[in-house]
Amino acid sequence: MTTTAETGSPTGGVSSGPIVEMRNIRVSFGGVHAVDDVSIDLRPGEVVGLVGGNGAGKSTLMKVLSGAQRPDSGEIRINGEPVAIMNPRDAKKYGIETIYQTLALADNLDAPGNLFLGREMTTAVGQINDSAMEDQTRKVMGRLNPNFKAFKKPVVSLSGGQRQAVAIARAIYFNARILIMDEPTAALGPGETAQVRNLIKQLKNEGIAIFLVSHDIHDVFDLSERISVMYHGRIVDTVNKNDVTTDEILGMIILGKAPGKLTEKDIADIKG
Amino acid sequence: MRRTFAVFVALTLAVAACGGGGTSSTAPGGTGGGGGGGTACKVGISWNNFQQPRWAATDKPAMFKAIQDGGGTIVGDPDANLDSQRQLSDVDTLINKGAQVLVLLAQDGKAILPALQKAKDAKIPVIAYDRLIEDPYVLYITFDNVAVGKAEADAIIAKVPKGNYVLIKGDKGDANASTFLPMGWDQAGLKDKVTSGDIKIIGPADGTYTDGWKTEKAQANMEAIIDQANAANQKIDAVLAENDSTALGVAAALTGKSYSPYPPLSGQDGDPANLNNLALGKQYVDVWKNSNELGKAAGQAALQLCKDKDNGKVTISVDASVAPAAGNTATDFKTPGNNTLKSIILKPTPLLQADLGKVITAGWYATKDQICKGADTAVVTACK
Amino acid sequence: MGNVAEATPGQELQIAQRAGWRSLLAQTEIDPRLFGMVAALGIILVGFHVISGGTFLRPANMVTLGIQASGIAVIATGMVLVIVSRNIDLSVGSLVGIVAMVYAELMANWLTALGIGVDFPFRWAIALAIGIGVGAAFGALQGFIIAYVGVPSFVVTLGGLLSIRGLVWYLSEGAAVTGLDPTFELFGGGGSGSIGGTLTWGVGIVGSLAIVGLLFQNRRRRRQFGFPVRPLWAEVVLGAAACAAILGISAFMNQSFFAQRIADQINAQTGAPAGTPVSAGFPYPVMILVVVTLVVTWLATRRRFGRYVYAYGGNPDAASLAGINTRMTILKTYVIMGVLCAISAAIAVGRLNVATLDIGQSYELYVIAAAVVGGTSFAGGIGTIPGAVLGAFVMQSLAYGLAYIGIDSPGQNVAAGIVLILAVALDAWTRRRGTRTTR
Repeated sequence: MTTTAETGSPTGGVSSGPIVEMRNIRVSFGGVHAVDDVSIDLRPGEVVGLVGGNGAGKSTLMKVLSGAQRPDSGEIRINGEPVAIMNPRDAKKYGIETIYQTLALADNLDAPGNLFLGREMTTAVGQINDSAMEDQTRKVMGRLNPNFKAFKKPVVSLSGGQRQAVAIARAIYFNARILIMDEPTAALGPGETAQVRNLIKQLKNEGIAIFLVSHDIHDVFDLSERISVMYHGRIVDTVNKNDVTTDEILGMIILGKAPGKLTEKDIADIKG
Repeated sequence: MRRTFAVFVALTLAVAACGGGGTSSTAPGGTGGGGGGGTACKVGISWNNFQQPRWAATDKPAMFKAIQDGGGTIVGDPDANLDSQRQLSDVDTLINKGAQVLVLLAQDGKAILPALQKAKDAKIPVIAYDRLIEDPYVLYITFDNVAVGKAEADAIIAKVPKGNYVLIKGDKGDANASTFLPMGWDQAGLKDKVTSGDIKIIGPADGTYTDGWKTEKAQANMEAIIDQANAANQKIDAVLAENDSTALGVAAALTGKSYSPYPPLSGQDGDPANLNNLALGKQYVDVWKNSNELGKAAGQAALQLCKDKDNGKVTISVDASVAPAAGNTATDFKTPGNNTLKSIILKPTPLLQADLGKVITAGWYATKDQICKGADTAVVTACK
Repeated sequence: MGNVAEATPGQELQIAQRAGWRSLLAQTEIDPRLFGMVAALGIILVGFHVISGGTFLRPANMVTLGIQASGIAVIATGMVLVIVSRNIDLSVGSLVGIVAMVYAELMANWLTALGIGVDFPFRWAIALAIGIGVGAAFGALQGFIIAYVGVPSFVVTLGGLLSIRGLVWYLSEGAAVTGLDPTFELFGGGGSGSIGGTLTWGVGIVGSLAIVGLLFQNRRRRRQFGFPVRPLWAEVVLGAAACAAILGISAFMNQSFFAQRIADQINAQTGAPAGTPVSAGFPYPVMILVVVTLVVTWLATRRRFGRYVYAYGGNPDAASLAGINTRMTILKTYVIMGVLCAISAAIAVGRLNVATLDIGQSYELYVIAAAVVGGTSFAGGIGTIPGAVLGAFVMQSLAYGLAYIGIDSPGQNVAAGIVLILAVALDAWTRRRGTRTTR
């Protein structure tokens, strides 16, 4: 089993210092500011919900953290230390795992193949060790989905929930300390959604820090400690869940106005 | 990144355009196009398959020399690279460049007809070089392909008057392969001997055609024929191959199967590798057409047609060994398509192993080294 | 399964039986696609045997078929990797052409000029190494432009096809080149180009032991991890069938004999009386193909490189997000193609004993057809190397068989085209019907 940098305490609850700090991140695509001077942080055992409309910049910001996008400027700190995340490998090195909205699974490979993609277990002579990988996959999938049996089938033939399980298993297996989840329940039915939500709570208790990007306001309220709202590439505000109402969050998302600036009329317009 | 991409696309396309492209005017003794006074005869040449060695080695230099020595210029000599459509546009280009006479090596005698029409409309005389164009407008300058076939079969039949023959033919779409050479074979007596039972054909009675005259294809086909003959306990006593590129494949097949006794094999063109096979005993006869003389004749004819567009008046002067049987002035020729056109038909020279000296002294593009590689000098005196 | 309670006893038995056969096959875990290809090949061979009046399936003929197919099959193994990773290589024919010309020029002229004369030991190996280097270099160049500059592979390799064929012409100044080392003739099969009876039995025995060993090791590993295993009867049947097949083919090939003239040279050395037949066995090109197939299959299934090729083909984004250096992976596939083309060129030029200007022409079509008939999909991510080799044999057995019964090129081309379309249609149909294994 590979080990990644162990950071944060394994005891439950939110610890003090942030495990991830993103400071003044800027990303532009040909004149369009996809991410405009964004600062955000995350503590161990905490879920920060990242919400915003289409094109608000949530996915791009998370891609910077996961190594799939290089920022034009800005700084990332892990446990207080500045780090350079130039590619997905670097991110994984720091214990950052991502569950993409599209799941980023190779349809023609089976579950073990996907789980270990890019980090295959090899024998002493450098051969791929399929049996060991299958064994490990069985173990980790057993925790997530005990009924899963299709370890040798290509993942294209699995159900949406099973595919999601494989993507999540990948993140768990490699001892992620920081998890980015992009729309994890979007394509799932109610039963599977409940499973994912329980899993997130479980991971929180293990001290894992999670960025949760989601359109589902109720999920966000249910699962996160804090909520950051993005609008046109900027952070409107980052608030504690208990300090806002869903309407105010909606206002932030749709109008880009901080709670203090929202008027009764704005809220009526949104609802109307 | 995008800029590099664009540059590379441009480079690739440029290389691609050049790679399959023309021969460009790099002939010895001068460049094509330009030069000369207003009275200089402007000749346009359209090749069909410059990839084959003989054209660059013999036809082109000889033709260019004859034209330039006579004060003419060449406006261009593009290669259609086996593409009949491409040849149509090549001819267009030549006409646009001001060619006063065209030398056409037609990829396909029928597909070339639209181009011929354009030449007719522009009143440009046309020489059909080496390959027939079915139209009385052209002056047909070629080696006597029927005589080539006859020479091939004469030599083989003289060596093997009775026995099992394999017939290997060229590309089915080429009139030489389907009509003229087999006609020569029959003139030598093949058809009669098959009827009388002296000669038995192994494989299809009409012979086996070879896509594009390709050596590898001939080899594969011959291997199958050998296997089938072995299975049926038939001995192959002789192989009539229409030309050298197919004969090369046949020889490789026979050698690869250690076929013994090695049957006499025919060919034509005098390709260096085949002349070497002649020296090694892997080919029996190679009908050599000194295409230096053919190019020379066409060059001379082109210059004459510039001045006087009457095909019937063209008179050439070539080496006695190839001089036309019908005399040096153009005569009538009846085509398989029942057209009558003016023609100058040169005589081929069959070569057996003992005749290799002729080729070496004639300054053919095959060098003595190439011809004699690995030959037993005790047996092949020309190789000493 | 229907409403079993309402079925009559006769129907019940039938239902159970039908389910039984399919599940029996499934229990052996044989890839049905591959199995179907072997069956198709068998049908073609037997079909020609019948049409030819019972003369087709002779050892000497199968030797010819094997030699003819090897040149294409060798390249097809690498083409699988290229197509799986959503690319194409149209330049293979021209690559074969130029390396063939390089071999000939090296042995006829250049090596001697460098002081490596005709009697230099392992001269052929030096020529071979240089040729492989040339192939790899062209492959790397194309791979670089495709992977790092980002030009589509169709465009790059099309440019390669045209320009490299032109280079062949310049290299040889327009003429075919003779004068190859006798060892190169062995690469092409031919008179002495077979490994002989003893080695053929050796290959058969080693092959059988290897298969049994693999089955054994596989079962033991599954047991060790607690995975489900094949039923014992399935293991035994598979092992026995494979051994019978390999040993049977070896025995069959040993019924092909050297020409007596060559056999007597061997007899003189072994002390056997002149006239004793000497088994020829497997021809060298087929052995080369076997080695190449094993190596490329090993690369594709047992090395991370191969895994990355398939992953990229399945989902290029997933592969790069997983941290895979996808550009290097693609470049490597083209380098492999260059090397394989150089090996195929050695076979081609060895067969012909001369490098003509048009060696290798149109190979790309046959190679791609072989890969596609063998189950490789242009959508990417799917295809096996053994499948491509079988595909090459299917296509070549058609061409050879038709030539054998006297049908030449136009007929052969029509048949090839029909088979290609049928194979792809069948593949698409089975894919739509259910799940498939991919490796």
